[in-house]
Parts: sequence; structure tokens; C-alpha cells
Amino acid sequence: MSLVTAPPRHHASRQAPPATAGASPRAVSGPAARAPARDAAPQALTTRSASSDSIHLKISGLTKRYGQFTALSEIDLAIREGEFVCFLGPSGCGKTTLLRAIAGLAPQSEGTIHQRGQDISRLPPQARDFGIVFQSYALFPNLTVFDNVAYGLRNRRDARDAMRRRVTELLTLVDLAGSEGKYPAALSGGQQQRVALARALATEPGLLLLDEPLSALDARVRLHLRSQIKALQARLGVTTIMVTHDQEEALAMADRIVVMNHGVIEQIGTPAEIYRQPASAFVAEFIGSMNFLQCCPENASTLRLGQQRLECAAHDLEGLDQARLAIRPEAVSLCAVGEGLSAQVEHVEFLGAFLRITLTLEGCGQTLSADVALKDSESLGVRVGARVGVRLPSEAIRLYPLVEAQA
Amino acid sequence: MMARALPLSGRLSGESGLRLLMLLLALALLVIGLLLPLATMLIKSVQDRSGDFVGLANFARYVQTPALVGSIINSVSIALISTLTVVSLAFLCAYGITRTCMPGKRVFRMLSILPLLAPSLLPAISLVYLFGNQGWFKDVLLGESIYGPIGIVMGMTFWIFPHALMIMMTALSNSDARLYEAADALGTPKWRSFLTITLPGARYGIISCAFVAFTLAITDFGVPKIIGGQFSVLATDVYRQVVGQQNFQMGAVVSVILLLPALLSFAVDRWIQRRQVAQLSARAVPWQPTPSPLRDWVFALLCYGVAAAILAVIGTAIYASLVQFWPYNLSLTLDHYAFKALAGGGWDAWLNSLTLAFWVTLIGTLVIFFNAWLTEKSQGYRPLRQGLHFMAMMPMAVPGMVLGLSYIFYFNQADNPLNWIYGTFAILVLNTLVHFYTVCHLTSVTALKQLDPEFEAVGASLKVPFWKTFCRITLPVSLPSVLDISAYLFMNAMTTVSAVVFLYNSDTRLASIAVMHLDEAGHFASAAAMAVLIFFTCLGVKLLHAVVSHLLLTRAQRWRQAT
Repeated sequence: MSLVTAPPRHHASRQAPPATAGASPRAVSGPAARAPARDAAPQALTTRSASSDSIHLKISGLTKRYGQFTALSEIDLAIREGEFVCFLGPSGCGKTTLLRAIAGLAPQSEGTIHQRGQDISRLPPQARDFGIVFQSYALFPNLTVFDNVAYGLRNRRDARDAMRRRVTELLTLVDLAGSEGKYPAALSGGQQQRVALARALATEPGLLLLDEPLSALDARVRLHLRSQIKALQARLGVTTIMVTHDQEEALAMADRIVVMNHGVIEQIGTPAEIYRQPASAFVAEFIGSMNFLQCCPENASTLRLGQQRLECAAHDLEGLDQARLAIRPEAVSLCAVGEGLSAQVEHVEFLGAFLRITLTLEGCGQTLSADVALKDSESLGVRVGARVGVRLPSEAIRLYPLVEAQA
Repeated sequence: MMARALPLSGRLSGESGLRLLMLLLALALLVIGLLLPLATMLIKSVQDRSGDFVGLANFARYVQTPALVGSIINSVSIALISTLTVVSLAFLCAYGITRTCMPGKRVFRMLSILPLLAPSLLPAISLVYLFGNQGWFKDVLLGESIYGPIGIVMGMTFWIFPHALMIMMTALSNSDARLYEAADALGTPKWRSFLTITLPGARYGIISCAFVAFTLAITDFGVPKIIGGQFSVLATDVYRQVVGQQNFQMGAVVSVILLLPALLSFAVDRWIQRRQVAQLSARAVPWQPTPSPLRDWVFALLCYGVAAAILAVIGTAIYASLVQFWPYNLSLTLDHYAFKALAGGGWDAWLNSLTLAFWVTLIGTLVIFFNAWLTEKSQGYRPLRQGLHFMAMMPMAVPGMVLGLSYIFYFNQADNPLNWIYGTFAILVLNTLVHFYTVCHLTSVTALKQLDPEFEAVGASLKVPFWKTFCRITLPVSLPSVLDISAYLFMNAMTTVSAVVFLYNSDTRLASIAVMHLDEAGHFASAAAMAVLIFFTCLGVKLLHAVVSHLLLTRAQRWRQAT
């Protein structure tokens, strides 16, 4: 409960470090911040949605209450056939509750869920069509890998040979052929999670639910399994929902991301949309690194930052006294003193491919960070105490109302 | 897809219907086996002999009878002294086991559980042999008689010690080495570490132990029955009122009074359990004792002393059961094991006890574990599941005498449709099962909590019915705990006296009750022989349990091996 009511700022600051790794390729590409790497995702999506445009899962007005506490409020969501969707948000945001409601494990208080047109809102989990993988693997410790994978098959009284073939096929699919006779305790975490994946896929469910499947694993294993799951999903074309609190994971794997906070959906969009056009200050802060500066929107296309006037993209916040200006560190560009805004270098952090430079803007005294390639920083003579010029490209600036972030 | 899902939903709503049915059956078991009898007893306590409501008249009469009121003081003082003795002893021994490097820990621990294998009648009988009018150590008492408070406290201490020791060991083994290291680094003397770290860390365990000991002492029937002499306590009063004077109303009144301290300690124990949880951090590093010859040997001698006393008490009973005629003819004989004094023969009683223990173990283990599964692992029907859990916790607060008497009141009513089970084995099984329900329930819940909470969800997502997942996964994985429950139920069914003493008839007389009858009739050696017989039966089962557990664990070693 306390986690839920905590201000979003806290979560965002905790989530910030991993973003740097993910953000690095874009940062190197410079001030334009239009990295081509990101564009691959929407393309992949269009190819898929062209092939199957039907809705697999439709959630309407879904609300879940625990006593006085509302864990989910009026959730509306449609997931297309074959899509890979991530529920992303800080802990306590309701993402796992939503997944459990879809599975029927924590039935909703109100609202409906339709799967392929059929109303499954009141069905028990056994009667729904899904496979599920949990963070804890939940492998049956007293059964071998073979029996674990065959657990759902055996019940359907499939012929023994067909079953054996199916298990072997699934284990090959997750790179574990030959481990049939082992017990879960003899496997590594990553291997166990792959067995759990094979077990969930064994009955060919129409919907695959992944509840933080990678969170319990080491960083290295996590990266490997991440691409493996994504490839497997693309190959099988099974509609997949993954819950995660790791934004890097969501950005890398999802066709679409559902960003959640305090039991409501903040934004639904492709990773590129979420990253480039965050719909709210919360999303902006939660995904990647983001600078926030207090400013005053003067009219639809200009704003005032301290005494300086800046151009910005069209916004609808004119008339407000104050607003939050958001800009990504990699979108901030440095230039020679005298050009753009003047700033003083406070701190330089070496992050491998680039430097993260903390600056204090002269005039308004606010701080912001800029990600700068090593050679650029050398040519500009960046060091602690030096003065530099700062440009905030108008197309990279987004404005948010001041109060929203505290909601 | 729809075609597949539709027939499934039809079958599976049957599945949740089945679960509801099971839940209702489990509730019915405890309502019939616990709530209704207790309610009937409460009603009887405010009725006169003809069944008319008389308000608190019975209680008023109780208070005005000095012989009865005296029992309250007797019971409380005996229970307090026993508690103090047993808690101090258990603390010292548990400290020796968990916090020193004394030699022979394992042997001591094995010996320390021996008192659990015999009815509480056994220590009383042995004490009579040791310190009674013809006892070897009569003079040690300096002219005081063993029949009375001294004997009761000694018997209680013997019988309660294993319970107290187990709680104390748990309390003292929850140590965090980091705290002691920090204290050492700050130059804290050992006695101060003890006062500021050890004692506070174990305080809930000590309180809990004290209340468990107090409850056991105030509700025990066996020890005061044999060795109490003219010194009456609440538990023997209930028996005397009901069996001796056929005064059921007064029996009910005494029962209600006996229920109070037990309810109090039950409430305190629940409160402590809740506090205890928050205290332990998962990151605590267990403390390892380092050798310290003087300390180790002091504790070793103390523990050996306790073990010697335990062996002496049990040994006396065995020896007494084997000699011709104590103390005049000490030649050995097996005559007393023929139980000639007992009409119908003592071996029948022993067989009856075995039968009872068998059924209680078989039914009890499965029913209690499955019910615990229902409360812990199933979805939906939350109020029902909470109600079941609450009722499962209640038997701990109900003394055996009270439960037994309640059963008379409830099942002996002519208009009760279950009247037919009165006087049969069924009522003994039901009574014993309910009497020892709580500990089994808690053991089951603890075991189930250790399982991955998502097993059921995985089973459901794979369309495997819940009973299949229960049989293939939950039960096998929890097998060690299930075996513990079985052994616990078996030993208690073999040794219990208090509840069943009201419920047997001539065909269903139990071995533990036979001990009491033989003792009442003055056949002390035969009584000892029967108690020893029970002891060895339990010992055999305990050893069997150890062997089976060991085999199962070795077999399961392959999958239990931690990574």
C-alpha cells in the first residue's frame, strides 16, 4: 500500500540507471535523437498486424478492489492476435493484478474480459485458454524435466508416443534437449525458467502470460533468455503478455508497451512512441533518463526558461504560469560558450561509450544532464568548472503540467 | 477454441463446486466435533438436573463449596510452580544445545523426547515407586509425602519438559551472529551480550513456552489422578463430579472454569506468534558456538542430569513392571503383563488403543492436511476458509477433560441424529482427532507455506484438476511434514487419557485408561506394565517413523538436492 502511494519520482530514480545502457546507442547518434535503431520495432509490428488484425483479448472497464483499496481502475485494453505486449510499471502499479485477472487467478471486481470474442470474465482459470510462467518458475520439484513439461499433456490422455515427441520438440525449442531426466534442482535458474516456458507452451495455449519471468535471473542470463523468449514468441506467433518492472526489458521485447501507475494505464504505445512521446510526466520519468526543468509556457510555440526564451514544439499548456520541461540527456547538445544557453559543468560521469555531464544553467540555476560522446566533449573542453553552451532542440522538448506528476 | 472451452467450463464449475463441498465438509467436521459440543456444555452449566435454565446458580453453588473452590488455588499454584521449574530447566538445556559446544547433544535430544511416548500416568506411577511409602528415595523428601503437590509438580515437570524444550530450542536457535559480532567489536562483556541480545531475542519464545507449560500443567489429568492423593485440582474435580457423583451440571461448571486459563494462554500465544514474525530478519546469519571447556561441561553435566532423571523415571516403570512384588520380592517376572486383574484382559485394551491410533492417524493425517490445503491454497470462499482456519486453531485452547465432557453432553442427547456414535469407536476417533487438531493443522500450514504459491495456478492453467495436482505434487513434496503429523497423532492417540476417559465403554476401553483403572484397583505393577507397553509401542512407531522418513528422504534426495 505504501509503495503505491509513494510519489512516482522515487520509482523513476530507482529505474534510471539501467536506462543508460539501453540509451547509449541513441546517445552516440547525437543531438538529433532520431536513432534508426528504434525504427525497427514499428516495422515489425506493421508486418505482423498486416497478417492478423483480429483482436485476441479485449478488456473493458476492468476494476479490481481489495477492500477500500483500488488496485485497478477502469482498465480498457485490446490486444491483437500474435502481439507481444508488456505491462510496465513500478511495483504496486497493478500490472501483476491485471495479469492475474486475465488468468482468472484474481477475478476482477467489475468489468469484462473477452478472449477471441468469448466472454471469459467469470470463468475459473481452468476454463480459460492460457499458459503462464512465473518469476519463481514454480516447477514441480519432485517431477523430472520431462514430467514437468508433460504435466498438462498427460491429463489429456494423449498417446504416449505423441506425448514423448511433443516434450522432446518443446525441449529442443528451448535448447534443453537431453535434460529430460533431470530434476529442477539440478538446473540453473535460466534453465529452470526455460523448462517453465516449455511447460506453459506444451498445451498450445492461445495466450502466453509471463509474470516477471526474468526478474529472478542473473543479468547475463537475463539478456540471453530475453532474446530467446522474443525469438520463440515471434516464431510461434503466440499472443503474449509479459509483466515487468524493467523498462529496458519492455523496450527490447515488446511490440507494444502498456505503462501503468496507481492502477491506471498511463500510456499504450510502441516502444518508440513511449520513449519519444511520453504521454505524461510519469511515463517520461519512468522510461529512460529524463531532465525536468521548471519553465513558463508563454504561448503555443515559445517558453521561458529563467530569463531565456526558447522555441518549442506546439503544446496546449499556454496560460499556465509554470510547467515542466522534459528533455532526454541524449537530446541535449553542448556547443561553444556564447551559443545557446550558458551553463557550468558540475560533474562528469564516465559511462563507457559516452559521458554524462551534469550542468547548472546560468540565470535560472537549474541543473540538467547531457549525454555527450567522448570526442565531442574533448573538442569542447568539458571538465568540471568549465563553462559551455547548451542547446535544447525544440523538437526534443516536451511540456507537462506541474501538478500532474504529483497525482 | 470456443468449442473446446465450453465443455471444459461445464466440467470445471463442477471442480469448484467440489471444492466448496469439501470446504463445507471440513467446516461440518469442526462444527460437530468441537463447536456444538462446547456450546452444549456451556448451556448445561446454566441448567439444573432437569434441564431448566437456572442462570448462574450452579456457579454460585460452586463458589460456596470450599472443597471445589480450593481446587482453583491448588491448580493455579501447581501450574505456576511446574511452569517455573520446567521453563528454567528447558531454558538451560536448550541453551546448552543451541549455544554451547557440549558433547552428546544428539543423544540428549533423543532422550529428551522419551516422555512424550508415554501417558502422563507413567511418570506418576514411577514417582510413587521411587518416593512413595515404600520407595527407595522416600527419605529424600524429608518426611513430606509424594502424594500431593510435590509429586504432581515432579510428574508434570517430567511430562511437560519435552514440549518446553522444543519451543525453547526454536527460540534460542533464532540467533543472529552479526549482533554478537557487533557486541564483541564494541567490547561488550559476555554477560551483557546475554542480557541485551540473547534474552530479548528469545523473549517471545520464553513467554510462549511459559504459557504452553502452564496450559498443559493446569489441564493435565493423568499426573494428579495417580499421585495427587487428597490434593484435588480442577481436572480431577471434573472427573470426580461426573464419574464419581454423576453431577454433570457441576462437571460443566468446573469445565467452564478450566477453560478460562487455557483460553487466556491461547490468546497470549496467538498474540506472540504475530509479534514473533516481524522480529526475524531473513538475512540473519546463524550464530555458531565456539568451544569453551568450562561452560560446555557445566551445561553437559546439567543436560546429562536431566537425561538421567528421564531414564530413571522410565527405567523405574519398566523395572517395577517386571518384579514380582515390590519391594519384598524383587525376582523378575512377566506375570504383570498378563493383566489378570483386568476384566476382559489388558491386551484387548492395548489392541483397542492400536485400533484407535491407527484410525486417528490414517483419517486425521489426510483430513487435517487436506483441510489445511483448503484454507491455505484454494481460491475463493474466503470467509469459509478463514472460518475453517479459526476453528482449526481452537482445539488447542480446549482441555481434554472439557472436550470429553462436552461430547457426553452433545452426543448423548437422545434427539441428536449422531447419537448412535456414542459408545462406539467412531466417537473416540472423532474426539481424539479434534483434540489434537491444532498442532497438525499448524504443521501442515507451515509445510504448505513453504511450497511455491503458484503450483495451483500452474496446474489450473494446464487444465489439470486440483485434486491431481494435490496428489502428484503437494502431497509428495510435503511428505516429511505429513509423516510428522502421522507420528504425532499416533503417539497422542496411544497416550491420551483426559478426553477419552468419559467416552469409552467396556468394548472400547483403551490402554491408557486401563493404566488408570489398574492403578485405582491397586494393581500398581500391572498399571506400570501397561504404561510401559504403551511406551514401547510408541517408541516402536517413533523408530519406524524415523526409518521411513529417512528412506523417503534418501529416495527423494535426487530432487531435494539444493542447487
